[in-house]
Amino acid sequence: MITCEEFLAEIGDYLENEVSPEVRKELELHLAQCRACHVLYDSTRKTIKIVTESSSFELPESVSDPIIDRVMAKLRTDQNEHG
Amino acid sequence: MSFLSEVRLEDQFGPFVMFQEALGFVPNLVRAQTLLPRVVEAQAKLERAIRLHEGAIPRVQRERILLSVAADRHDAYCVALDSKVLSSLGVSDSEVHDLLNDSRHADLSASDFALLQFCLKLSRYAPSVRSEDIEALRACGFDDESILEAVVVTALAIYRCTLSVGLGPEPDFGSRNLASTKTYPPHDRALPGLLPHIHEAARRKGPYVPAPYLSPQTFAPFSVVRKSHGFIPNFFRAQTLRPDLLEAELEAVDRILLPEDALTRVQKECILLAVSAANLNSYCVAVHCNMLRGLGMPSEDGDQIAVNHHESGLTEPDKALLDFAVKLGTGVSEFSREDVVKLQVLGFSEKQILECEVVTALNNFANTLQMGIGIEPDFEPPSIFEENKVNLPGTTQTPIQAGGAVRLVETLQDADAGLVAQAQSGELEAFEALVRRHTQLIYRTLTAILGNPAEAQDAMQDTLLSAFKHIGGFQGRSKFSTWFVSIARNTALKRLRRGKLFESLDEDEYDEERESRPRQVRAWQDNPEQCCSKSEMRQLVEKGILTLPANYRVVVILRDIQQLSADEVARQLGLSVPAVKTRLLRGRLMLREWLSPYFTTSAKGIAQ
Repeated sequence: MITCEEFLAEIGDYLENEVSPEVRKELELHLAQCRACHVLYDSTRKTIKIVTESSSFELPESVSDPIIDRVMAKLRTDQNEHG
Repeated sequence: MSFLSEVRLEDQFGPFVMFQEALGFVPNLVRAQTLLPRVVEAQAKLERAIRLHEGAIPRVQRERILLSVAADRHDAYCVALDSKVLSSLGVSDSEVHDLLNDSRHADLSASDFALLQFCLKLSRYAPSVRSEDIEALRACGFDDESILEAVVVTALAIYRCTLSVGLGPEPDFGSRNLASTKTYPPHDRALPGLLPHIHEAARRKGPYVPAPYLSPQTFAPFSVVRKSHGFIPNFFRAQTLRPDLLEAELEAVDRILLPEDALTRVQKECILLAVSAANLNSYCVAVHCNMLRGLGMPSEDGDQIAVNHHESGLTEPDKALLDFAVKLGTGVSEFSREDVVKLQVLGFSEKQILECEVVTALNNFANTLQMGIGIEPDFEPPSIFEENKVNLPGTTQTPIQAGGAVRLVETLQDADAGLVAQAQSGELEAFEALVRRHTQLIYRTLTAILGNPAEAQDAMQDTLLSAFKHIGGFQGRSKFSTWFVSIARNTALKRLRRGKLFESLDEDEYDEERESRPRQVRAWQDNPEQCCSKSEMRQLVEKGILTLPANYRVVVILRDIQQLSADEVARQLGLSVPAVKTRLLRGRLMLREWLSPYFTTSAKGIAQ
């Protein structure tokens, strides 16, 4: 069976579903027998799900609209002044 | 004498001893590379592992492949050499004659004949090899190791032929066998039955041979690759059935690509990219675009070399160097001493020319191997490259020749192109539409770099004004959104410097191993997303992300929050895809540590 170090070296690709079938088999064999790596994998997978579904750092229109309006007004003024 | 000077090396020089013992002499092809002893060592490593060592296919059959490929390519030098070697292994003159003329008459078993035909197909037009060809070999009784070996032997044959064309060595022997070269069938890529179904969607995915897991901890060359490349390319992972061949290839790659005593690493990657593109190998194109990005070349410059290096920003001598490499690497027109002289006139040294030829040979080795076993891509090739696959079987046109002056700027597909053109002519409505379309992307980029949402809102106005001011200079060499992000980046970086809050976005090396090592090992709940409201979750995630070091934060926000592909993030940050993936993983693991106290089975929830 592969070691935890070896598992950690592949976990990035495994989470992204980018490992070959042979490597996947080794990793899953390890996961079935190693509690620590299983916890790590499972919680990282959940982290990714939480983060991707969080809609974080979304600028509400109530904030972005005034900014854009201000910029466009300035650009229009500049354009009128310089023909 | 070959096209280049030779240097006398002592007889004890390792590769000389090896060739002397194995063949009874040191081939002139090898002597012609003595200006750079390291490339002689590279070839010796390859020949020892692939040709001379005991393998899955009998030695005689491997020699037959080498000879047949050389004959098919009309390579008189290799034909003479390989005929002699076959004779020395006890093969009769008449069989050698038959192999050279028409292998159907040679005294071969049906399976050996089928293997030779496969190798010739791979040599003539590698993109046409399909999984069915591999199945046919299996039906003849060949096992996976033999099939992999046949592909690698063919790749070696092409490596040697490329060098022989480029170096023009004197024959090692008289032309006894050469008389028969006149009767070869014409070198015709459009033979019936060879015609590929390249665009067939149903083509089974590779790799065609199994690739058992090989640990970087026990197979040292893998940990070396991981260090030097930042990842282990599928090209190497797909050959793990034969660690012996893999090790030799990696040693050859190290000797050819890593030293910078003749050409620079960037020049060599440009050669690999341009020749792979001319050979229509989108796998290798994607790899080398990424390598160049990792070496600091902007992604649009790399893309342009893949499509047509004449329109790139390279210097004129470097363009000529790529012309030379493409001519040698594709073999579409006669190569001669004149080509070497042209480069010398432009100021290239003999060592540099030699290295260019060896890199081209290595490229053809890799292109052949990749297509022979159907290695799956690590990255997306530039989209423009795929669309430009104009090379049709039966023609010898490459994208470069067929397309004339294909420029990225004319062909890049970008949904924003129409609005951009209007905005560039001063139409404010068009500019406003572009801004609204990309508001979140720009805001998130600013937040990612500044690490502070309030600052990011503040920086929005400057970013938009700067974008309008500079939009006339946008040439369409990348997608508009990529360009827009770069404006946001510059605005944010300027602010950081002004505020002296500068936190490097490029530093990658601060005790990262320890940072990403897991500490929290308590199991998480089944559905952590259900343990609090959506807005509570969002606040928690935002808070966690803002604790990350800047370079991880940027990648996590663009990839996981904005949900750009790894390739897009890499392009926007001027990083290679492997670098993005490394930072993303470390960022995610740190975020996991940070979130753990809230979501383990014993956690009291977010309100604690």
